[in-house]
Amino acid sequence: MTAESSSSPPALEAEISAAIVRCATGEKSALRVIYDLESARMVGVAHRILRRRDLAEEATHDAFMRIWRSARSFDPSRGAARAWIYTIVRNQALTILRDETRFGPEEQVDEDLPDPNSALLRLPESSALRQCLQQLETGRRNAIVLAYVHGFSHGELAGRLGMPLGTIKSWIRRGLASLQECMG
Amino acid sequence: MTPDRDDRLHAAEFVLGLLDAETHATAERRLTTDPVFAREVAVWQKHFAAFDDTADPVVPADDLWRRIEADMAAAAPAAQVAPPGLLRRLWNSLGALRIAALSGTVAALAFATVAVVTVRHAQEVAARKPVYVAILVDDATRQAGAIVNAFADGRVEMIPLVDMSVPAGRALQVWTLWNREVGPRSVGLLDRARATPLDLQRLPTTANDQLFEITLEPAGGSPTGRPTGPILYKGTTTRTL
Repeated sequence: MTAESSSSPPALEAEISAAIVRCATGEKSALRVIYDLESARMVGVAHRILRRRDLAEEATHDAFMRIWRSARSFDPSRGAARAWIYTIVRNQALTILRDETRFGPEEQVDEDLPDPNSALLRLPESSALRQCLQQLETGRRNAIVLAYVHGFSHGELAGRLGMPLGTIKSWIRRGLASLQECMG
Repeated sequence: MTPDRDDRLHAAEFVLGLLDAETHATAERRLTTDPVFAREVAVWQKHFAAFDDTADPVVPADDLWRRIEADMAAAAPAAQVAPPGLLRRLWNSLGALRIAALSGTVAALAFATVAVVTVRHAQEVAARKPVYVAILVDDATRQAGAIVNAFADGRVEMIPLVDMSVPAGRALQVWTLWNREVGPRSVGLLDRARATPLDLQRLPTTANDQLFEITLEPAGGSPTGRPTGPILYKGTTTRTL
């Protein structure tokens, strides 16, 4: 994690890691520390997926409940505290997104296709993820970025990119296979 | 053990959130039983994590923290697993599991069995206190898989906390390392995860910071007398308080 660490300074990583460990002992102020440091970015991550601020805040609320309840399952020695938190908020956002009873298609904001390059170009130039994604064919790269950053499903990708479902699935698989080789 | 390509891509699709609900739920369960798959998932999560910092911050409304705080009061931190290495937190987590199992409000259904088993063992363990305890943890998933208890009279036992999946023709082998020059010594061989006494009679008395690990080996045990398969869980002993 050389490239990635440039965007999450070790001091912040350590602070979050320590706060999660304190949450595991039931210390409420530790959850507040995480909230102060990360909640705005968490809402931002959820907002890219849900595109509605109220739902993005709901996903963040659910994520904090989850962090609080499962803090004990976090192992500080692995040193991926922020990745742990963001995996949780992303999953909560995806759960809301995929819940059709909560978030029907008619509710979806019908905006233009989000630009996959905008997230990609915000990655540090030294980022291995950025360099490896840029080596992929455009279609494969866009499908993977839209899936991770904006929570697109196979079906949504097919609709938005105007390609058959089978093509999308194979773009993703082949793109991931190349990515894996590139990132090692 | 190298996971095959399809499995790695499956892990990546799981991380991207591209699996349908049923397949996603199956993969999620697999995280707790298949350490190799869990490791693959962790690797992909790290790969993609760089994207999280590219989101524009959106400052939440003032009442978000109040809502979190209110709901937090109703939800004590519940342990699905114990953290590695810290005995006190193990005891806390066993306590939390006990409360969770009794109240039925906190523990997820999937962990209920583990909780019940753990509670029973917690009571047994409390009745005859070990001198050293090691919590064996899966490196990738951070999940505690087993506890090793060493007693004053030299007895050592291993208690699994999860149902480790053992493929046909394979076995779980337990090792301990108290001296790097001598190397790991086999102290137990099991066809499936179950509480078992470990055979340390011919070894020096268990000490602080002694490594225990469980590997997946061919049925009948490692052919070389040394661990050859993947390490499922490992941890070192800590003196009890």
